Amino acid sequence: MSGSALDRRTFLKATAAGGLTVVLSSALGAPTARAADRLRVYVVVVDGTRPDEVVPALMPNLAGLRARGAWFPSARSLPVMETIPNHVMMMTGVRPDRSGVPANAVYDRAEGVVRDLDRPSDLRFPTLLEWLNATGRTTGTVLSKEYLFGIFGERATHRWEPFPVVPGSGHAPDVFTGDALVAMVDSFDPDLVFVNFGDTDRVGHSDLTGTTLRAARRAALANTDLQIGRFVTHLQQTGRWSSSVLLVLADHSMDWSLPDRFISVDAILRARPDLRSSIQIAQNGGADLLYWTGPSGARSAGLAEVRRLVAAHPGVLSVQVPADLRLGPEAGDLVAYCRAGWRFTDPTPVSNPIPGNHGHPVTEPIPFLVAGGHPAVRRGVVLSAPARTVDVAPTVGALFGLGAPPGGYDGTARTGAFRP
Amino acid sequence: MNPLSRRTALQLAAVTGTGLAAASVAGPAAAAPSSSRRMFGHGVASGDPLPTAVVLWTRVTPTAASTPGSGVGPAVTVGWEVATDPRFRRIVRRGSARTGPARDHTVKVDAGGLSPATTYWYRFTAGGTTSPVGRTRTAPAPSARPARLRMAVVSCANLQAGWFTAYRHLAARQDLDVVVHLGDYLYEYAPGEYQARDVVVRPHDPAHEMVTLADYRRRHAQYKTDPDLQALHALAPWVITWDDHESANDAWSGGAENHTEGAEGTWAARRAASQQAYAEWMPVRYTAGGRLYRRLRFGRLASLSMLDLRTYRDRQASSMVDPALDDPDRTLAGPEQLEFLLDGLADPAVQWKLVGNPVMIAPVRFPSTLDGDALRGIATLLDAPVSPSGVPYNVDQWDGYPAERARVLGHLRDRGITDAVFLTGDIHSGWAAELPADASTYPATGDSVGVELVCSSVTSDNLDDILGTPPRTTSLAAETGIRANNPHIKYVDLDSHGFSVLEVTPAGVQMDWFVLVDRTHPDSGAVWSTSFRVPAGSGRVEPAPRRLA
Repeated sequence: MSGSALDRRTFLKATAAGGLTVVLSSALGAPTARAADRLRVYVVVVDGTRPDEVVPALMPNLAGLRARGAWFPSARSLPVMETIPNHVMMMTGVRPDRSGVPANAVYDRAEGVVRDLDRPSDLRFPTLLEWLNATGRTTGTVLSKEYLFGIFGERATHRWEPFPVVPGSGHAPDVFTGDALVAMVDSFDPDLVFVNFGDTDRVGHSDLTGTTLRAARRAALANTDLQIGRFVTHLQQTGRWSSSVLLVLADHSMDWSLPDRFISVDAILRARPDLRSSIQIAQNGGADLLYWTGPSGARSAGLAEVRRLVAAHPGVLSVQVPADLRLGPEAGDLVAYCRAGWRFTDPTPVSNPIPGNHGHPVTEPIPFLVAGGHPAVRRGVVLSAPARTVDVAPTVGALFGLGAPPGGYDGTARTGAFRP
Repeated sequence: MNPLSRRTALQLAAVTGTGLAAASVAGPAAAAPSSSRRMFGHGVASGDPLPTAVVLWTRVTPTAASTPGSGVGPAVTVGWEVATDPRFRRIVRRGSARTGPARDHTVKVDAGGLSPATTYWYRFTAGGTTSPVGRTRTAPAPSARPARLRMAVVSCANLQAGWFTAYRHLAARQDLDVVVHLGDYLYEYAPGEYQARDVVVRPHDPAHEMVTLADYRRRHAQYKTDPDLQALHALAPWVITWDDHESANDAWSGGAENHTEGAEGTWAARRAASQQAYAEWMPVRYTAGGRLYRRLRFGRLASLSMLDLRTYRDRQASSMVDPALDDPDRTLAGPEQLEFLLDGLADPAVQWKLVGNPVMIAPVRFPSTLDGDALRGIATLLDAPVSPSGVPYNVDQWDGYPAERARVLGHLRDRGITDAVFLTGDIHSGWAAELPADASTYPATGDSVGVELVCSSVTSDNLDDILGTPPRTTSLAAETGIRANNPHIKYVDLDSHGFSVLEVTPAGVQMDWFVLVDRTHPDSGAVWSTSFRVPAGSGRVEPAPRRLA
């Protein structure tokens, strides 16, 4: 953080239920006095959860919200089915060719490195957070992952910086995220809070029993569900429930591979040093983004050859150009997807040993439900509309009566979840 | 119930204000005035509903000599009318069509200019007489999101094996948007060759195996004189595909088990004859030699891809150890149809991807622990070869084309496709099964890429018939063994005959199975047997708490 950024914010320390201190930062001059019964919206992301996991045996609280709210069984994540781009789509309502955020990891041509898109400047489209702030409302972000905190930066009125962060995973466990969410609501009561619970994803990635028992995953699901149940109870006990709308969804799903089911584009191209030296690879688990860095005169033929070689691998589902997936130039020149039960590991065969991955089409189906005590929420309905992560911003925007952003939304307001 | 008493009952229903929809279709042609009965003795039908068009069908008999398959009789102009009310006070479309002996005096009209999701009534006129009235319904608009779709699902109706009371019970329903027939609408056999156990309930006409064009036409005509079949055709539009018996048993692209090349002419000529008669006699958007596989849409709620798994398939393997089973290029659907299927499954604009799938796609491994009689009975039921240990293996269904099945199931899994439902007939038994994403991990994960729901036969023999045992006795052990050996199979009934009703909503799909008390009795009752549901997005089948209301 720069010094000037520090100058524009204040800090608040709240004590969580477990006795730990939650630190929240806020923009200076944020509005404070607002009506108690105004609309409150909570966009809750259960990171990496599959729709078939939202069942009473695994996630009783979520299953209950689903049964008492509006459920979209055909909901899907959008390319690339990774955390950062889908959270950005939720908050902007536009696809990556307009936001500039196509994947978690990209090859930054200017800096010559593969890096995460975790800087505020990486996101080039205004977000729902800023639009709401501009109307005099307040917003909050409670994002468990460091890179999400990074890219959304200071866009929300009130922010929680994930803490404590698990070494290696870069995220705060859900119990702390749950504490921070409660503290955020109690301290500032924002009109919109954007929450990410990261445990189900992080545990899913590392679950060595992913292809069979999913023992660790199931435990994580139960714990995340507990946090959501706790939050709902808190809203009820503090009198906020009847004015609350919860939009609960995942950013992507999860797929598991056996240790030997990997694809290394690096290994594929090693037999062709001319091509290998002209390609940079940004590995995103179930998808590889490939960037041509060789001579421009050889680009067209070289990419055609790379495409042919990569597509021939039995674990590769498809190789496409980014524009076909509505990804912009940040996604490079080719996007390779793997099949279910496979993963990419680049730049080396040991770069990605983790069994749980996403980014490939099998991980598109996501849970997506609207619940809450607000009278506008329809109860117990199931809708065939193909809801997508990019629909969150237009849906929430419509609830607050916001107009469309410049150029319009790419998503659709899922008004079927609400009474007319 | 005889046709006249049924007619009376319907009229009474109309008078009392109940059952208006059923009362407004004329039902069996036999109940019509004699002049209409002579001219339109094969009833009326509709099919392949689109949002603004539906196929209307009838057959005229302008002279006594113009019998089906005769090739004699004058050319005739037949008028047709479509109205929004059963008394034809608001006629919205009308026209005329010419027919004659070249098409066996059948009439098929693709009536366009209609409104989506609308119930219509239609009738034909010829020689100063009017046909029975049929009711039909257009499909919802492409962008519509219907709250519900109800369809009858039927297959395997062997006239020699019983009465079509299954059709009668369906025709009495008020809730059907469409009737899906998955094939074996008629059978090719001569009297005595294939019937109800040893009893020919109703002999086939002509009294020999159908081989020539005239034979196929006559057999189609015989079936179309059945009053129950006529009533169900007149009630709702049908969506139909063929399986093998519309041409000959276990047909493939180059022949059939029940075809003797030479003695019965060439397979090419026989198949062409069967296809011509099919095109003439069925309310389907198909011309002989063309493409039968096609896709219908019901708004954004569902698509229905109807497959033809006979015309393009490679010959069945000879056994479960036949090296052909390992050939990655062997095909059941043919490459073009396979792409058509995969494209339809991947359509993101539609929630439920229904597939009219003539033969079973779920893998089935029959347990070797069954007693010898049961294994032999199953082999007979499936017309399947047996392994050296006596275990049958159905090489005629997707099990016989494993590489192509792997492509379909892999496509569903790799693309994260949800809500794919295969609706299947062919094997004269009721099944509900999941389609494991990976057979080796399925017992632990339960991950399934879709489901399969199989309706029983309208009349055709199944296991108890083959074993000569009472229903629901000896087959129970076989069913238990099959389920134990195939954890993805949640329901199997190898004995019952009847029909299914399928409901499709955004929340789920449910199939109710109804079974006939006695298919050989012309007044057989039908009772609800069981129901299974597929919650949206789950890829799972589970017992439904209750039958459809």
